[in-house]
This record gives sequence, structure tokens and C-alpha cells, in this order.
Amino acid sequence: MKSDLRQTPGYCRPALGVDLLKKKKFIIGGAVLLLAIGFLAYRGFAGSAAYYYTVGELLSQGNALSGKVLRVNGQVLAGSVEQKPGNLDLKFTVTQSGQNLPVTYRGVVPDTFKPGGDIVVEGSLAPDGTFVAKTLMPKCPSKYLPVG
Amino acid sequence: MTDIGYVLLVVALIAAVYSAIAFVIGRRQGKPALVESGRNAVLAVCGLLTLCVAALLYLILTHSFQVEYIASYSSRGLPLTYLLSSLWAGNEGSVLFWAWVLSILAAIMVVQKRDVGADLVPYAGAVTMLTETFFLVLLLFVANPFRLLPFTPPDGNGLNPLLQNPGMFFHPPFLLGGYVGFTIPFAFAVSALLSNRLGDEWLVVVRRWTLVAWIMLSIGNLFGGWWAYVELGWGGYFAWDPVENASFMPWLTATAFLHSMMMQRRRGILKVWNIVLIVATFALSILGTFLTRSGVLNSVHSFASSPLLGSMYLGFIAVTLFGSLYLLYLRFPDLRSEAEMESLVSRESTFLLNNLLLVGATFAILLGTFFPIISEAVRGVKVSVGPPFFNWVNGPIFLAVVLLAGVCTLIGWRRASLKNLRHNFLWPGIAGVVLAALLFALGVRRHPVALLAFTACGFVVFTIVSELLRAAGARHRIRGENILKASWGLVTANRPRYGGYLVHIGVVLMAIGIVGSQAFNVEREATLKPGESVTVNRYVVTYDSHDEYQTQNKSTYTAALTVSNGGHFLTRLAPQKYFYADTQQTVTEVAIRSTWAEDLYVIPVGTQDDGTATFKVIVNPLVKWLWTGGTILVLGGVVAFWPNRRKAAPAPARAQGEHDGT
Repeated sequence: MKSDLRQTPGYCRPALGVDLLKKKKFIIGGAVLLLAIGFLAYRGFAGSAAYYYTVGELLSQGNALSGKVLRVNGQVLAGSVEQKPGNLDLKFTVTQSGQNLPVTYRGVVPDTFKPGGDIVVEGSLAPDGTFVAKTLMPKCPSKYLPVG
Repeated sequence: MTDIGYVLLVVALIAAVYSAIAFVIGRRQGKPALVESGRNAVLAVCGLLTLCVAALLYLILTHSFQVEYIASYSSRGLPLTYLLSSLWAGNEGSVLFWAWVLSILAAIMVVQKRDVGADLVPYAGAVTMLTETFFLVLLLFVANPFRLLPFTPPDGNGLNPLLQNPGMFFHPPFLLGGYVGFTIPFAFAVSALLSNRLGDEWLVVVRRWTLVAWIMLSIGNLFGGWWAYVELGWGGYFAWDPVENASFMPWLTATAFLHSMMMQRRRGILKVWNIVLIVATFALSILGTFLTRSGVLNSVHSFASSPLLGSMYLGFIAVTLFGSLYLLYLRFPDLRSEAEMESLVSRESTFLLNNLLLVGATFAILLGTFFPIISEAVRGVKVSVGPPFFNWVNGPIFLAVVLLAGVCTLIGWRRASLKNLRHNFLWPGIAGVVLAALLFALGVRRHPVALLAFTACGFVVFTIVSELLRAAGARHRIRGENILKASWGLVTANRPRYGGYLVHIGVVLMAIGIVGSQAFNVEREATLKPGESVTVNRYVVTYDSHDEYQTQNKSTYTAALTVSNGGHFLTRLAPQKYFYADTQQTVTEVAIRSTWAEDLYVIPVGTQDDGTATFKVIVNPLVKWLWTGGTILVLGGVVAFWPNRRKAAPAPARAQGEHDGT
């Protein structure tokens, strides 16, 4: 069995004052740490917060959102996907309950991007009302779904 | 066969409920016969669920597509390995897999002979069987894998080709195994609270259980990252997606728990904290499943969602959390620390700091993950935070955690003397400074954060090596063994401690890989005619030719590339693109040339009729270190887990020596 500190001869609890003094050091240390984490969280938040909308919510806001970093959730409209040969430009429409948002994107298209599939696009609204996506985040399906 | 499967589930549910009741009544009224009967019921649940899994497997292998689950996740053309993986590929199957693994762990738990903690088994068994009951209810009422379709389709939907990769074969079972594994330590913690046996017993019992779950969760996460890297073709391995965060959070709290349990065993402190940590780990494990399955957060991974399933998980998490916290509240007076933290400069302090940092990171990740929901509740707008948030918060935290892994080995328990510190830190400190100067001269100064991180990593390796050499040197002097034999003897004589060191080295290597690939990666996109090349860093990638052919269900495009360096031939690469016509699914096979220095990673983007092709070429430094570090981390965990061949030595006395754990 283990020897318990309390049963060790000569052990006595430290006086309360000493207790508090010692605790104080650790409490101050912990508080500094928490503040530091909080500060980092704030800095990171300021740099990466994005408003999250569905297509309908976005369209109802009109031009108020132009220039802000946004994430928009919807489906890739089947038959809307256009990719010009010879470059990385992609055009498609994100749809949600009948409302459509035209999207342009330049870059590598993830394999999980599929017409009819759920998608989140991150980017911002251009003045002409198209959404310029910087990142495509299609949902990773766990199974085949028939194409609608 | 489906009826048999369903009946087996019903009987298993009855047995699980009976077992929980028998355990509780038997324990409360002191009737060993009843406890014994509960024990047998656990074995029965395990047997029944094993048969149930066998039945589902039989149905999968015989292509019984009338079963909805099998029609959704398998097909005739699927190779055997992926037929097997369809056992856990879908929602219903994964819940069954979870219940089955839990029943196996529960059976091992009740059968195990134990010198310590035998009195804790009945309540722990009851908690485990109640958890089992929850999953059996899910299986019977919400996620029945044996549900039949009204017709029999000629073929199943098959497994998404993206998931047909060895990484994806192993990722789900290990991840689930890890999640499930935390049930046992949680059950023992609750049992300790219920029976008011709040000493070290339960920690002695759960140490190895926690390690097993931790190892499985580590393997699961590593396979997930590796799969994303080689299969998904975006050149990354972790994206701070909600579901990825969900599997990372219990890993963090479990890591904290593995450290803080040593504090209680050695010094009798942090008793409440330990219980909170294991409860949190268990709740976060369930939360992981909930996030994956409920679709409440928009994740790239959230699968077929069911609101009922989601609310049941949420209810279970709530019961778990409030139940255990209420118990904790009742027992609070009995959980007083037996000692005080004595000095800020002591191993206890480093452990405490490590715990605060790991839990702080978990908290920040939790906050970031749920931010859309929180902000919608508070301000009415959904605001989500992206990877920069997580990197900002976690980068410094993990740097500090890595540094602590080195510092803690050099600081003694209780109170370290200044002389001692100077002696222990001298050589690793000097080596760290030399390394920093070297890296600076080599040009890492372009990126001060990386310079700092690499130096910290080097310092940690130096401390661990110097510590090992010091101990081996002592053994060499005393026993006359040569250094190698002495080191080996040390490691085998104290596996928990040196296994822990090995894990630390693994973490350091992973950190080097992560920092290297994040800070120094170079990307270039190029559209090439056959014969043209693109230069990225020192690599010249030439597009030689391409090959296209059509088979029954897919068309395959293969590009032939030659990689050279200053006219020096290095290798040929053949990235591919498949297109499955029936499902409109594109699968990109990236080509990777991996060395210790860096990965050359080529993504085929697209082709045109005139013969040109577009590629994205990425140079990802040090990625191999990440996978190697991960392997070492798992090996270290196994070393720490490995039982001592000799009869277990008596546990070390508190606050003496430092020959157990790290």
C-alpha cells in the first residue's frame, strides 16, 4: 500500500496564512494564463470571424454586406457548373429554397464538390451581386447519393 | 437473418438493463450472488452483440440489398476489405460497432482479476451497462441497421470512392474505439463517487484503460489526417473543421488526465480536477459522435442527419454531465487535497501548467467550434470563426506545452533547488542556444516563429536525451553495463516513465512537421503543354505526356511527369484523375514524392482538349516528420501501456523518488 503523506510522522498541515500565500501565487499565475489565452482568442477572432448566412438570409440583406467576409450555405445548383477549359476559373450557382446566388471561384476544386451537393462557400460579395469565393467547403458525404 | 439480428438486439437490451440493476442492488444490499449475476449478464451482452455483428457481416457479404443499410453502403463490385469497412461506414453500422466494442471492453473489465479496486467494479459495471443501454435503444428505435426496404434493389449504392483508401479503412474503427474506450475510466470515476472510495484506487484501475483509449484515439486521428493528405488532394491534414475539432478535444483532455492522475497518485492533490477531466473527456467523446451525426454545426463531415438522433445524444450528454457533477458536488468535502503545492518551481507546477494549457486549448476550440450557435443565441447573427482563430489561440499554447514537456523532465518533484536546476539545465540549454544559432545561420531567421518553435523542439529532445544518458550513466557506473544495455534496462524497468518520454519525442517530431509545413510551404499553379515544365523551389517538374482511357464505370486520366533538380533526374510522378460517370464523382489521386526534407505534392487540376493540363505543385517541408512523430507517439503509448512481466512492484511512496511516470 502507499504511504500517505498525512500519516507520515512529523507531517502537519501548513498554517492557514502560508496556505493562502502559496495559493495566491498559483491563482495569480492561472489568471495571467487565462488572460493570455483570452487575448489570443480575441486576436484570432478579429482576424477570422465571418458572418454565416444561408442564401436567402444573404440576399435579403442587400448591399449592406458588400466587402465583409461571409460564409454562405446552400446547395450547388445542378446544371449550373461552368468551368472554362484552360484556366482554374469556376462559375456555379448556390441555391437554397429557390433562391440563387451566383458564385465565382478560382483555384483547385475539391473532389467532394458535386452538382446537387451541400456546400459552404467563404468569400465576399462583389458590387455586381456575384459572390467571389476564396474557399469552397463541400460536405464530405459518407455515401453515394443519387444526383438530383 | 434480419429478424435474428433484431431479436439479438432486443435480448441484449434486456440483458444490459438487468445487468445494471443487478449490479446496483447487489452492491447496495451486499449480495455477491446478484453482483455475480450482473457480471454474467455483461458477458451475455457481449456474446449477443458479437452474434449481432456477425449477422450484419453475413448480410453484407451475401449482398442482401433488401437491408436498407447494406444497400446504402455496399455494392457487388466492392472488394472484400471495403465490404468489411461498410460495417462501420454508415450511421447505423457505426452505432452497432460502438455498442459492440463497449460490450467487449465491459466483458474484459468484469473478467479481469484485480488486486486493487475490485469493490469499484459493480457500480462501474452498472454505469457501463447504462451507457450500453443508451446505444441499444438508439439501435432499436432510431438507427436500426437491420431495417428492410420495401423492395430489393439489384445492387447497392456502394462506398464513396473517396473513402476507399486504407486510411479510411482504419480511421473510423480506431476513432470510435477511442471514444468508446473512455467509457470505462468514466465508469470507474462515477463508481468511486457513488461508493465514496475516493482514494487512488480508481486511478490505479483506470490508468491503463485510459491509455488504451488514448492510443486508439491517437491512431484514429492520425489516420484521418493522413487520409486527408494523400486522398483529398488539398495538401493539408487538419482544417479545424467542427468534426475534426470534436475528435481532437477529448484527446486533449485525456492527455491532461494522464498527467494529472500522476499528481494525485504521488501527492494526493487535484482529486476533484481528475474527476472533472475524465467526465469531460467522456462527454466530449459523446459530443464528437453527436456533432458528426446531428448536423447541428455545418461541418464538411456531418453525415446523413436525423434530428431525433441528435436530441437523444444531447439528452445523454446532459444526463452524463449533470449526473456526475451533482455526485461530485455531494462528495466535495471528501475530495480535499492531502498536500499543498509547495513551490512554483517544481514538477507539480509544470504538470499543473500543462493541464491548464491543455484544458485552455480545449476550451478555446470548443468556443470556436460552437461560435455560430453562441453568437446566434446572443446577438441573433451566426458568426463563424475560421482556421486563423484556432491557429492564433493554439499556436502559442502548444508551443508552451511542447516546451513544458522538456522542462518537466528536468525539475524534481515538490521543490527544485537552484543548484539542481543549474546543473540539469546547463547542457540542454547550451545545446538549445547552439541549435538556435545554427538555424538562424541556415536562414530560418526569415520566420522568427518557426525559429522559436524549432529551438523549443530541439531543446526538448536534448533534455530527454540528457536525462536518459544521465540515468543510463549512473546504471553504467553501478552495474557496469554498457550505455546501450543500461538504457534498454532503464526503459524496460520503468515503462510508464520512458514510454511517456517516447510520446514526448513523438509530439516534438510532430510539432516540427506541423511548423515546417505551415511556415515554409510553397505553392504554384501552372498550365502546361506536353514538354513544358514548371519550377518550384529547386524542383523542375516536366509534363511529358498523358494517358486517358475509359472503363465501364469510370474514365481515368494519368499524367506522366518527370521531376529533376538542376538537370539531375529525381523521379517520375503519375498523378491521376478518375471520373465515375454514374455518380458524377471525381477522384483525384495526387502524386507525392516524400523525403525527410520535404514533400513534392502534385495535384492534377484539369485538362483541355488541346492537350494542355493544369497542375498545382506544392512543396510541403517536413511532412514526413509529422507521420513519423505520430508513429513514435503511438509506440510510446504502447510502451507505457505494456504490462510489467514481473509481478507488479509496489506502488511508489508519495513524494519520494521520481521513478514512476513523467
